[in-house]
Amino acid sequence: MTSVTEQADREFVDAACLALRAPTDGGDPLDALGWWDLLSELSDRDARAAALALFRAQGRELFGSAALGGLMAQPFLVATGLPPGSLVATVSRWSPRRGERLVVVGDVAGAALLIDRPGHGAAVVASDQVELHPVAVAGRLAMYEVELGPCIWTATVAERTAEPARARGRFLGRLAMALEILGAAEGALALAVAHAATREQFGQPIGAFQAVRHLLAWARTDCVALEAVTTVAVRLDEATPPRHDEIVKALAGRNGRRVCERALQVLGAIGFTTEHDHHHFHSRVLALDALLGTSAELTHALGAWFRETGTDPAAPAAVLLSE
Amino acid sequence: MLDMTSGNSRGSFRAEVPTYAAAVEAWLASRPAAFVAAARPVASYAERVAVTSDLMRVLFDEGWARYGWPEAVGGLGGDILHRAAMWEALARHGLPAMALFEHLEILAPTLVAMGDQDFVAGVLPRFLSGEERWSQGFSEPDAGSDLASARTRAVAVDGGYAITGRKIWTSWARYATWCLVLARTGTTQSRHRGLTAFAVDLRSPGVEVRAIEQANGTDELAEVTFDEVLVGPDRIVGERSGGWRVAMHILAHERGTFGWFRHGFLYRQLFDNLAQGSPSPAGDTLLGNALLDLAAVRASSHAGLRAHAAGAALGPQAAFVKLMLAAGEQAVNDWVLATDPDLAVGMQDDYVAVRRQDYLFSRIVTVYGGSQQMQLDTIAKQILRLP
Repeated sequence: MTSVTEQADREFVDAACLALRAPTDGGDPLDALGWWDLLSELSDRDARAAALALFRAQGRELFGSAALGGLMAQPFLVATGLPPGSLVATVSRWSPRRGERLVVVGDVAGAALLIDRPGHGAAVVASDQVELHPVAVAGRLAMYEVELGPCIWTATVAERTAEPARARGRFLGRLAMALEILGAAEGALALAVAHAATREQFGQPIGAFQAVRHLLAWARTDCVALEAVTTVAVRLDEATPPRHDEIVKALAGRNGRRVCERALQVLGAIGFTTEHDHHHFHSRVLALDALLGTSAELTHALGAWFRETGTDPAAPAAVLLSE
Repeated sequence: MLDMTSGNSRGSFRAEVPTYAAAVEAWLASRPAAFVAAARPVASYAERVAVTSDLMRVLFDEGWARYGWPEAVGGLGGDILHRAAMWEALARHGLPAMALFEHLEILAPTLVAMGDQDFVAGVLPRFLSGEERWSQGFSEPDAGSDLASARTRAVAVDGGYAITGRKIWTSWARYATWCLVLARTGTTQSRHRGLTAFAVDLRSPGVEVRAIEQANGTDELAEVTFDEVLVGPDRIVGERSGGWRVAMHILAHERGTFGWFRHGFLYRQLFDNLAQGSPSPAGDTLLGNALLDLAAVRASSHAGLRAHAAGAALGPQAAFVKLMLAAGEQAVNDWVLATDPDLAVGMQDDYVAVRRQDYLFSRIVTVYGGSQQMQLDTIAKQILRLP
């Protein structure tokens, strides 16, 4: 079941994986891919698919960059007058212990930070005006908590301009995170499939045992489901129904975690060591699930929303069936 | 009423699925009587068959049900996307299920692709118009998941073949005129290579249909016995000894594209449950999970539809859609049960009875059309290439 679009998507992902893997002589693979240029063309379907394919590749290759914040800041570029790549969005999250935390992903040296306060507008803050504290989680994910002095935040983008930009930035950010979760889940699954084909017990590869085969087949099904949903969301973009980004992100967190758990079960104890890469894929999935709404929060909220409003949650057939 | 025979509307409907879909929507918005009757919950399966057949006749007469099928066999042209749009619209407007016309989307694509074209041109319009129904004779008492061990035999005789054997779990046989029977024309040892698919008229001498009452109160399944039932050579679908290919083509539809046709009715169930009283917030996470699962079915089966419309074979990837569809159907019904205990202990008026039927049926969707374990085996072997 392949279509022309899916073939093109696969090529984008493969090209991005190659670029992230290739030695760059100190250069930025995103520059080599021309990735930042794609940000001004997101209304074009192919450019959008190519831009978002980077995230799936990042998940698979355990690559880190500031692309997520760059993508989420894209809708603010016109209002701030900054060029793509020079503004990186922070992501707000809630810690049960320490209250609101601002997080950035990747190396943000030299970029300005976008600090968005729903209801109050958004501010652009130079990176030397904040303190960045590395968050020590596995996943080969450079992640920082942003500490900001109490007086620095002053809205530079008015709320009425920030509001639609914020919605768009979150939509793009959730799609990007879903794709990175997909890539990381695929990475974990590939390790487990390879292990099942070579690791022998009772005189045969463990992948010959039905209990193991079914774990892996379920994991692949969860990946295919997420791939299908992200493909449609990227293709439909603004033609998706309300809160579709939340459906995509919630599915990603749920399926991504399930894939990593099944892969871990197949890998056995070796998969639960720091010398094995599984924990990097797993931790990356957990970290991304925790930003812009966990799957648990979003799933519950989506249920409540549908129950209260009866809004049609399905991607419109007229658009899906028209091409 | 639109004039479906005028060249202009026909051409644009055939060429443009959204134009066609909008016209179907407009027609449904006028609440045609046959549609209203079929949209009402009816506990009796026989009555449901009757009202759905009436709706099919009207859809056929109006022309809607003829799009998506080739003109040479009684259709009005177009492709599977037309059918996808029509059933989506019917579900959105309140039809609760396809009832036994599910087999249109499971069997008819294979009949059209592989059947004798004169025979298909004769039977397809009667299938589309609800006049005649089809059933699928695959499983046997000793051949379930291991379909290649089927023992029903077709022996060459003067004027065709004589079929003898027993089929079971044959959906809709007691309401059907035709059964697509997988029978052995080779030796038992020939396994999948010795099977041939026959279109058998269930009105023939030697056919006996016994309804099986299911645990959910419907009787859509049956056991069918064939005792030297004569069929002509033009009733072979596909090639002689090519029955396995026919069966795989059918199962690919049952598992792949069919996800689209069925999932529209699962969204329908969600809306229906909302409309009946006020579901408890305690089920919100179950409901949210159902929304995620249905989004996955919609996106993946849509990819299957597009591939099919582009002429690609469905292949083992259909197993993914089958697994997702079953998960989606169970997730929807998990929420329905959690928020409507009347299903378990309430007075069974038609409305509650149908929901109870649907809930109980959702517990067995991991069995029909190839069990969940067979789908997982297919993925492990043919896609993951495990040893």
